[in-house]
Amino acid sequence: MSEEVGYTVASDSDTTREETSPEIAIGIDIGTCQCSLAVWNGSQVDLIRNTRNQKLMKSYVTFRNESPSPVGGVSNQLSHEYEMLSGASIFNMKRLIGRLDTDPIVSQASKTLPFLIQTLGVGVKPFIAALVNNMWRSTTPEEVVAIYLVEMKALAEARLKRPVRDVVLTVPAAFSRLQLTRIARSCAMAGLHVLRLMPEPAAVALLYAQQQLPKNMGDSGSERVGLIFNMGAGYCDVAIIATAGGVSQMKALAGSSIGGEDLLQNMMHWLVPEMDSLFSGRGLDEIKSMGILRVATQDAIHKLSFQPTVEIDIDLGNGTKICRVVNVEEFEEINKGVFEKCGSLIQQCLHDSKVANVDYIDDVILVGGCTNIPKLKNIVTGICNKSEVYSGINPMEAAVRGAALEGALASGVNDSFGSLDLLTIQVNAHRLGIRADGNGFVPIIDRNTTLPARREMVFTTAHENQTEALIVVYEEGDDEKLLLLGYFKVVGIPAAPRGVPEISVCMDIDASNMLRVMAGVVMPGSGTRNPVVPLMEVRMPTADDGHGLCAEALSRSFGSTLDLVTLHNKL
Amino acid sequence: MAAFAVFRLPEVLHHRAGFDHSKQPLISRRTLKSSVTSCCMRNQQTTSQNYYDLLEISVDSNHREIKESYRKLQKKYHPDIAGQEGHEHTILLNKAYNVLTNDDLRKDYDASIGHVRVAFKGDELNMGYSSWNGPFRPQALFVDEKACIGCRECVHNASKTFVMDETIGCARVGVQFGDDDNSIEVAVESCPLDCIHWVEREDLAVLEYLNTPRRKQGHGVFEQGWEKPENVFMAAKTWQKHLKQQQAESQKRSVRSDVEEETEAQAQARESASFKLKMERFSGLWEWMKKGSLK
Repeated sequence: MSEEVGYTVASDSDTTREETSPEIAIGIDIGTCQCSLAVWNGSQVDLIRNTRNQKLMKSYVTFRNESPSPVGGVSNQLSHEYEMLSGASIFNMKRLIGRLDTDPIVSQASKTLPFLIQTLGVGVKPFIAALVNNMWRSTTPEEVVAIYLVEMKALAEARLKRPVRDVVLTVPAAFSRLQLTRIARSCAMAGLHVLRLMPEPAAVALLYAQQQLPKNMGDSGSERVGLIFNMGAGYCDVAIIATAGGVSQMKALAGSSIGGEDLLQNMMHWLVPEMDSLFSGRGLDEIKSMGILRVATQDAIHKLSFQPTVEIDIDLGNGTKICRVVNVEEFEEINKGVFEKCGSLIQQCLHDSKVANVDYIDDVILVGGCTNIPKLKNIVTGICNKSEVYSGINPMEAAVRGAALEGALASGVNDSFGSLDLLTIQVNAHRLGIRADGNGFVPIIDRNTTLPARREMVFTTAHENQTEALIVVYEEGDDEKLLLLGYFKVVGIPAAPRGVPEISVCMDIDASNMLRVMAGVVMPGSGTRNPVVPLMEVRMPTADDGHGLCAEALSRSFGSTLDLVTLHNKL
Repeated sequence: MAAFAVFRLPEVLHHRAGFDHSKQPLISRRTLKSSVTSCCMRNQQTTSQNYYDLLEISVDSNHREIKESYRKLQKKYHPDIAGQEGHEHTILLNKAYNVLTNDDLRKDYDASIGHVRVAFKGDELNMGYSSWNGPFRPQALFVDEKACIGCRECVHNASKTFVMDETIGCARVGVQFGDDDNSIEVAVESCPLDCIHWVEREDLAVLEYLNTPRRKQGHGVFEQGWEKPENVFMAAKTWQKHLKQQQAESQKRSVRSDVEEETEAQAQARESASFKLKMERFSGLWEWMKKGSLK
C-alpha cells in the first residue's frame, strides 16, 4: 500500500478522512536522559531529527521568565551544558514521575538535582520547582513531561508534514501502574493519544524479531532465544525472548529502578562526601557548584568506559577544590551495589523464563547508554556464557525503532514485503492481587503471565451475615513492596453464615496493558447464571496521589469488617 | 478522578473508532474484519471446544508443534493485529498454551477431557477415537484392526465413515454414521474378512482404546516395541470386568466406612466438581459481559 501522507486540512470532513490512509502512530522513547522519535515510513523505520540534526535529544525543559511556553531540549539552542544545571531546567522526570515523597529515589534526587524537589515525607506527590529569575516556579513531573511531549509533537509534525496524534511510548518494565497512568496523562495533556505503552524490552524484541525474519518466504525459520539487557540513566530491564517467524514471545521480564543516575550519584558522593550538607542551602552559588560537579562526574564516567583512568580537576567555589585521578577499579568498587543488582536481575529473569540452561540463549542484546560500561558488558556476557554480544542493534536506537514498528502494527499498516509481519507477545511485569485472608496479599495474576490475560479467584466472607466486602487491589513492585492501585466495595451480599457467599474476583489485562477488576456475588445452590447483584467492573488504577494514605484511611474506617477469605483458585 | 476518566475514555472510543475506520481502503483492515467475525463465532463455541481444537493441533502434538501453531494463531488473533475484538480469543489461546506446554497441567487436562489414559466409565462417549455424526445410537461400528488387511473396500463404499490409517495399513472408523445407513451396510458387507463389527456403544471407547498399539514394557533388549491385544474383544471384556471389580470394591469400602457420610476423597471430588461447574458459570458471566460491552 502507498504511504503517501497527505495533509489533513481543517476543512476535511470525517468522510473524506476515511478515504485517506490511516495515521501511522509514531514511536517515542522517552528516556530519563535522552529521547528519540521514530516512524515507519512505508518501507522502514526512520528516526526523526531535531533542528540541530540530532537523533537523540536531551530530555529537559527550561523555564524562562513568565513566558508561557517553556522550552526544552527538542528545539531550542542550549548555549552551554551548565545552563541545563542552573536550576531553571527540569530533567530526570522519568525517575520522578508517579513517585511519592516517601520514595527513597525521590529523596535522593532532591539532594543531588539542581532544581527544587521538596519532600515532606508524608506520602504525597513531591513539590517540584524551577528557578526563574531567582524565584522558584512550581510545576509537576507530569506537566514537565507534557511540555516536552508538546515540543516533540511539534517537531514530528514539522518533519512529517502532517498532524501527529497517535503514539506508542516505551516505558521501563519497572514502571508501576500508577507511573504508567501519569505518563499517559502527560500524553493526554500534550494532545497525544497513546496506542500502547510498551516495556522497552518488548520494543527491542519486536525489532529483533524483524531482523530475524526468514529471508525466503515459506520458511518459518528456527527459533532463536535472546536475552535483552537494557540499562539507561534511570532504569534497568531484563527480558528473555524466543523468536521465530516474526513472532517474538516474551518468556520473562524483570525491571528495577537502577540506572546511570545511581552510578552518577554514588560517584558524586564519593568525590564530595559532604555534598548533601554542602548543597543543602540551595543558594545560587550552591546550585552552580552542584552543576559543575555533576557535569565533571558525568564526563568522568563516560571516559572510564574507554580509558583506564580519568583526571577530575574542578573548582566548586567556596574554597572546595577537587583534583584527583580515578581509575576503573575504583569506579567499579564505588558502584558495586548497582552492578550486583544488575546481575541478580538477570539471574532472576533467567530463572523465571524456565530456560534450562544459559547455553540455550543464542543472542545477548545490549540496549541503553549504560551498556557501554565494560563492567556491565562483562556481567551480562559472563552470566550468559557468551563472548560476543549481538551486533545487529544500535543500543541507543533499538527501543524507539521497536516502538515505531509497534506503532505501524497497531495502526493497521500492512507491508507488502512482509517486513511488518511481526508480533510481540508480552508478559506482565508485576504481580497483581487483592487484600484477603486477614491482612494478606493474595496474588491473582502472577508475574510473567502472557498478555492479554484473565484470571479469577473465588473469595468468601470473613464474618457472619456480612453484606458488603471491600476489594483492595494491589500491585507488587520492586522488593515485594505493595502498591495500592484502587479499591471498591461489593454490596448486596445476601446475609448468610460466613464462608457461604461466593465472591468471584476476576482480573483482566488487555493487550494495551489496561487492567480491569471485576467482581460478582453468587450464592451456592442458586444454580442460575444470574449473579445476586449486578457485576462490578472497575478500571485500575483508581487511586491517585497519596494512594499510600488511602490504605491507612481504609483500614481506619473499616478495620476488618469488610474482609475477604480465599475460597478457591482457578488457573 | 475526573482527570482519570478523561484520559481513559478515548482509549475505549478509539477501539470502536478503530473498527469504523476499517472501511478505509486498506487490505489489512479488511481481512482483519473477517477474521474478527470468525473469532467471535468461535468464542461462542468455547464451551464445547477443547484446547487442542482451539490451538488447531492433534492430541498427540509435541511441544514444538504446539508452539508453532500457537504463534501462527497469535498472529491472526492478537489484539495488536486483530484489534480489541481479538482480546477474548487470545486469552483463550494463552490459557490453552499455558496448560498444554506444562507437562503436569497437560496431564491433568488430558484426564479432564477424557483423553486416552482415563478410566472408562459406562456412559461417557466422547473419549474414543471416532467421533459421532448425529445423535448417539445404541450401536457403533468398530474395525478389528488385527484382522483388517487394508483392502480399502469399506473406505470406498462409505468414505465419510471409514478412514485409512496409512501408517499401519488398516481401516478404522473416523466418524460414526458419517454416511447414510445404506452405504454403511454395503461397506460392512463388502469387507472380505468380516472385520467390521457392530458393537455396543458403551464398549466402543474401550475397544478403540485397546485397538491402538501401545509401547510394550521391555525386559532388557527383548520384547520391546509396539503391541496390540491378540483378541481385542476378549481384552475389552477383561478390562471391563476389572473395572467393575474396582468400582465394586471402592463402593464396598465407602459403604463400610459410613452409609450416610462420604469419604474425604469423595467429598473433595464432589466439591471440586461442583466448583468447576460454578467456575464455568462465572466464566460464562465474564464472557457474556464482555460481549455486551463490546457491542
